Amino acid sequence: MRSFLIRLVWRIFSGILMVLAVASLTFFLIRLMPGDPVSAQYNQLIMQGMTPVQAENQVKVMYGFIPDEPVGEQFINYIWGLLHFDFGQSISYEGIGVSHIILTAAPWTLILVFTGLIASFLIGVLAGVISAIKRSSPSGTVLTVSGSLLHGVPQFVMGLLLAYLFTALWPILPFGAPYDSSIDPGFNWPFISSLMSHAVLPVVTYALSSYGGWLLTMKSSVITVLGDDFILASEIRGLKSSTIVGYIAHNAILPLFTLFTLSIGFMFGGSVFIENIFDYPGLGNLLLKSIDTRDYPLMSGAFLLITIAVIVANIITDFLYTFVDPRIRR
Amino acid sequence: MSDTSTVNTESTFKEQQKMAISARNINVVYATPTGDIPAVRNVDIDLPRGSITGIIGESGSGKSTLIMAIMNAVTKPGKITSGSVLLNGENDMLQLSSEKQRKIRGKEIGFVFQAAQNSLNPLRRIGQQILDLGRAHEVHDLRALIKYAKELLIRLGLDADRVLASFQHELSGGMRQRVGIMFSLVLNANIVFLDESTTALDMLSQASVLEIIRELQKEKNLTIAFVSHDIGVIADLSERIEIFYAGEIVEEGKTSEVLASPKHPYTKGLIKAIPKISGDIDAAEPLKGSSPDYRTFKQEGCLFYDRCPIRTDSCRDSRPELNITSGYHKVACFRVDAND
Repeated sequence: MRSFLIRLVWRIFSGILMVLAVASLTFFLIRLMPGDPVSAQYNQLIMQGMTPVQAENQVKVMYGFIPDEPVGEQFINYIWGLLHFDFGQSISYEGIGVSHIILTAAPWTLILVFTGLIASFLIGVLAGVISAIKRSSPSGTVLTVSGSLLHGVPQFVMGLLLAYLFTALWPILPFGAPYDSSIDPGFNWPFISSLMSHAVLPVVTYALSSYGGWLLTMKSSVITVLGDDFILASEIRGLKSSTIVGYIAHNAILPLFTLFTLSIGFMFGGSVFIENIFDYPGLGNLLLKSIDTRDYPLMSGAFLLITIAVIVANIITDFLYTFVDPRIRR
Repeated sequence: MSDTSTVNTESTFKEQQKMAISARNINVVYATPTGDIPAVRNVDIDLPRGSITGIIGESGSGKSTLIMAIMNAVTKPGKITSGSVLLNGENDMLQLSSEKQRKIRGKEIGFVFQAAQNSLNPLRRIGQQILDLGRAHEVHDLRALIKYAKELLIRLGLDADRVLASFQHELSGGMRQRVGIMFSLVLNANIVFLDESTTALDMLSQASVLEIIRELQKEKNLTIAFVSHDIGVIADLSERIEIFYAGEIVEEGKTSEVLASPKHPYTKGLIKAIPKISGDIDAAEPLKGSSPDYRTFKQEGCLFYDRCPIRTDSCRDSRPELNITSGYHKVACFRVDAND
C-alpha cells in the first residue's frame, strides 16, 4: 500500500512536469504559425485613423498584455500564470478568460464524443468477438468488412449522409444546434429530451465511423487468445461455453483497455467535423475557430486541456491496469 | 485357429464391457492446401479398466491427435473422418451431443496437457478456476471440491493454500504441471489421459510426479493412457504399450513382453537407440532415415518401408495389419512371422 502511494505521487509529479513541458512546446509552436492577431488588430486600428501610440494603447487595454513584449518574457508570464491556474484571456472573445470559454464548450463535447466513444467501443468489441469466432463464415467476413468500410468513410460524409437521410428524406430527427432554442435550458424533461433527440445523429455518426477500429483490434486480439493453450484446456475440462467466452473476452480486452482510456483523453480534442456539421458549440469547433483567428491563448488553452486529459488518462490507466491484469501487480 | 471368428466377436463384446475406452477404426485427417493428410489411420485401441497404457511414438506420429480424437476434441484443421469411441462399453463419444460430451470431458475423462504449464487462465486465481470447473459440472458442494483439491495438491507436494490463492504466473513450471494433474483428478475422473505431461520436467520432478500418478492410479483404480516419446518413462509406468508410427499402431502388447522381445523393426530400432547408462555410448544405434513427414503419410504399402532394415519389395504393395503373434502381443509387419 505504501509503495502504491509512492508510485502514485511520483506519477502525478512527473505528470505535472510533462504538462509543463508540452505547454512550453505548444507555446512556441503556436507562435511559429504565420500571421499574428495583434498586428492584425493594430493595423486595423491604424486604418481606422488612430495614431500608432493610440492604437498600441488601445490594443494593450483590449488584451491586457504588451504586444511587443519579448517572447521570452511572454513565455515566463504564461508559465507563471499556468502555475496559478491562470490560462490568460481570449483574443477573439474580447477579454473573456480562456478557462471560462473552454469550460462552457466542454460539456457539449462530452455529451457528443463521450457517448459516441462508449457506443462505438461497445459495438466494436461485441462485433469483434463475433467476427473473430465466426471468422471463417460469411457473417463474420461481412461484419469485418462493414467495420473497415465505415471506418474509411470520412466523418463529414457520414454526417451529411445521415443528416440527409433522417432530416430531409425521412424527417424524424432534428438537425443542427444541440437543443431546441425555443426551450429554456434547465433540468426539466422537455429540455433533456430535446437534448437527447438532437444528440442522436451526431452520436450515431461518431459511433458508426469509429467502431471499425475497435472491431479490428478486438478481432485480432480474440483470435490470438483463441489460439492459447488454456482455451483448448478449458474446452477439454468441459467448462461451459459461456465461461469460456468470458475467459476469452477478459483476456482479449486487455490490450483495448489502454487504447480506450487514451481515447478518453483525446476525446477533449472534440470531433471537429461532427461538431461543425451538427453545429455543436464544443471544443472541436472552438479549436477550429481559435486557429482561424490566431487566438494564441485560446489555442494554448485548448491544447493544454487535451494534454492534461491524455496524461491524466494515462496515469489512471496505469493504475487501473494493475487491477484488471494480475500479472502487472508487483 | 479354425473357428476363431465367432469366438472373437463374443469375446470382443465381453472385453468391451471391461474396457474403459474402446476405440475402433479411428481416422483423423489434417486439411492442408495440398490436400488432406491422414494423421491417424484405422486405429483400434482399447484401454482396459484400471490399467496404465503407454502410447509411444516420435514427434508428429499422431499420438496426441489420437488422444484428442478419443475425446472428440480434435482442433481445426484436423477432422475425424470415421470411427467410434465407446466409453465404458456404452456411450459413443463421437456420436453424443456436444452438451453430453462436455459433461463427460473433465468429469469422466481427465486430461493433463502437453503444455500443462499454459493450461490455466492467466487472469484468474487457481481456486476460482476450480470453482468454474465445479460449476460447469454441477458440483453442488463446492466447499468439498476445494477441500479435495487441497488434499490432492498436498499429496502432489504443494503448499495447497498458497497455490489456490495464486495466479498461474506466480507458480513455477513444475508446480503448474502438478496443478494440471490436480485439475484432471479433482472431479474424480476414472479415466486420465496424460499427454507428454512430464516432458517439461527435470528428471527428479518427473520421477516424483510419476510416483504420485502410480500411487493415485492404484488407489482409485484409474484407467490411464500415457502418451510419451520417452520409452524409459513408459517402461517404468505402464503395463501395456502401444507403439505408434506415422499415424498407425505398429505393435502392441504387455510392456514387459514387447520390450523384452520386440517384433516390429521400428520397435527394435527404438530400443537399440537407447543409450545405456554403462558401457559404450556408441552401442546406442540411431534409427536410420528421417522421421515420417507428409509424404510418408501418403505413401502406399508399409509406412516404415523407407527406414526398414528387413524390407522386401512386396512390403511396398500393401499395408500390413496388426496381427496377433502370441497372447496379447500384436504386430503389423509382413516379415514378422518369417523372422520369428
